[in-house]
Amino acid sequence: MIEVHELTKRYGSAVAVDGLSFTVHPGRVTGFLGPNGAGKSTTMRVILGLDAPTSGWATVSGRPYQRLARPLHQAGALLDAGAVHGGRTARDHLLAIAASNGIGARRVADVLGLVGLDGVAGRRVRGFSLGMKQRLGIAAALLGDPPVLMFDEPVNGLDPEGIHWIRGLFKSLAAEGRTIFVSSHLMSEMALTAEHLIVIGRGRLVADAAIEEFVRQSSRRDVLVRSPAGGALAGLLSRQGGAVTAETDGGLAVTGLDAAAIGDLARAHGITLHELTPRHASLEEAFMELTQDSVDYRASGPGISRKAA
Amino acid sequence: MTTIAAVPARARDVLASEWIKFRSVRSTYLTLLLAAVAAVSIGYLVTHSDAAHWSTMTAQARATFDAVGDSFTGLGIAQLAFGALGVLAISSEYATGLIRTTFASVPRRRAVIAAKAAVVGVVSLLAGELIAFATFFTGQQALSGQHLNVTLAHPGALRGVLAAGFYLAVMAWVGLGLGAVIRHTAGAMTAMTGVVFLLPTIVGALPAPWNSDIGRFTVNHAAQQTIAQYPHPGYFSAGPSFLVVAGYAAAAITAAAFMITRRDA
Repeated sequence: MIEVHELTKRYGSAVAVDGLSFTVHPGRVTGFLGPNGAGKSTTMRVILGLDAPTSGWATVSGRPYQRLARPLHQAGALLDAGAVHGGRTARDHLLAIAASNGIGARRVADVLGLVGLDGVAGRRVRGFSLGMKQRLGIAAALLGDPPVLMFDEPVNGLDPEGIHWIRGLFKSLAAEGRTIFVSSHLMSEMALTAEHLIVIGRGRLVADAAIEEFVRQSSRRDVLVRSPAGGALAGLLSRQGGAVTAETDGGLAVTGLDAAAIGDLARAHGITLHELTPRHASLEEAFMELTQDSVDYRASGPGISRKAA
Repeated sequence: MTTIAAVPARARDVLASEWIKFRSVRSTYLTLLLAAVAAVSIGYLVTHSDAAHWSTMTAQARATFDAVGDSFTGLGIAQLAFGALGVLAISSEYATGLIRTTFASVPRRRAVIAAKAAVVGVVSLLAGELIAFATFFTGQQALSGQHLNVTLAHPGALRGVLAAGFYLAVMAWVGLGLGAVIRHTAGAMTAMTGVVFLLPTIVGALPAPWNSDIGRFTVNHAAQQTIAQYPHPGYFSAGPSFLVVAGYAAAAITAAAFMITRRDA
């Protein structure tokens, strides 16, 4: 379990994390989602005791990380796959990390096999692709067989096979009862990997919910209706308390009434329906909507701006 | 997923980790090789040249000719290579970001600094002494043609050779300390150059008696006092100068230990 309580981190006058509180529970994959610059990496560094919080605290398995004896047995982390000395072999890199926590060469060989790098263990890391470095970083995180694992943007640079592999790995690690905390700025990736989401924007908590709940909570829910008698239907729906917006293609976007109510109403008035579709915001849209006020850098223009709520 | 009883991260584990890091990169061997080649070859060239020009030297130059100190002329280059060895032992971790993995594995950062200082120190001291003896014997060989050579039994010769090796190890420690404080390879090497070249030059240009009053505290003047057969009269004698040299290593490592817990990794 990871707990973060009222965490604030300032760099000079810039606030990276602002009063952030959340708990990451064991037994499931928890996604840590936010736009670039939202404070995800900073939060992870504070959890690992690498950055000192300005105020607030974070604990791993109930204790401040710095107080953990042989912390690799308590928590493993992949922060930056590029954080390796290019001139060192993959095996030596892992041996050095392992030795610091009393972990032997046998376990190093095991994790190299686990991530599929046993064939290149004796090669210098300089020649590795980003995907191979990601695997090496994951191997390092797994060295101590820890109950808590953190990964910062782990799918970056992985090929489709690697992404498929990593999703399976996270799920199996979570199924073993471990706490899996994975950051990403890609909602679509989280939708396939995580069961629970912690969303932050500009260092503040935006949402902390199961994936399904996250979608349900998002405000964009409506029903798309098409009818040859669109004008009559729109008036009818409005009188029944629905809010109707005409879509450009002739459809009606209705909020305030569910699909059943709309269907019954149409039938009662003899209006033919050609389409009746309840719509949820996609996860991506839900994410954009939640974090729209907390994106530091955003391109302007119709391609990016959110749809009218 | 095993529950491990709280065993404090033992110093031995951290030492083992730092030793693996140190021995598994080429720069370790390259810097030591460069230092050895520079010290021995420059020492040989200078002693050989002095032996060849002995007949044309002034009587005063002959009287103060230092067969030991002369063979260590190449230390000026070797010291930078040892400094780089110490700098790289930590600056390479900051350059790549590996330092975060290191501190996540060993949150007691001073234990990391201590282990690095031990590994760098022991290897540098052994390599430094090896290079010093090789340099001494090569130089004496070059001087033997004019029978200017001395043996280790000569008064002050053994002390000078040991001091030369020790000085190289101190430079590695100073490099480690500067690397930990400055956290950039180029910046730390620049500071290193400033300490060993620029500082003595500036101090030497001061009006007397400040040039020697302050100069005796510069690390390379102090080191020269520990190596030379005929010490500079304005500076400390060999014993106190040895303490000055050692003080630089202690100050650098202390500064590293002080700063390392005060900044985000």
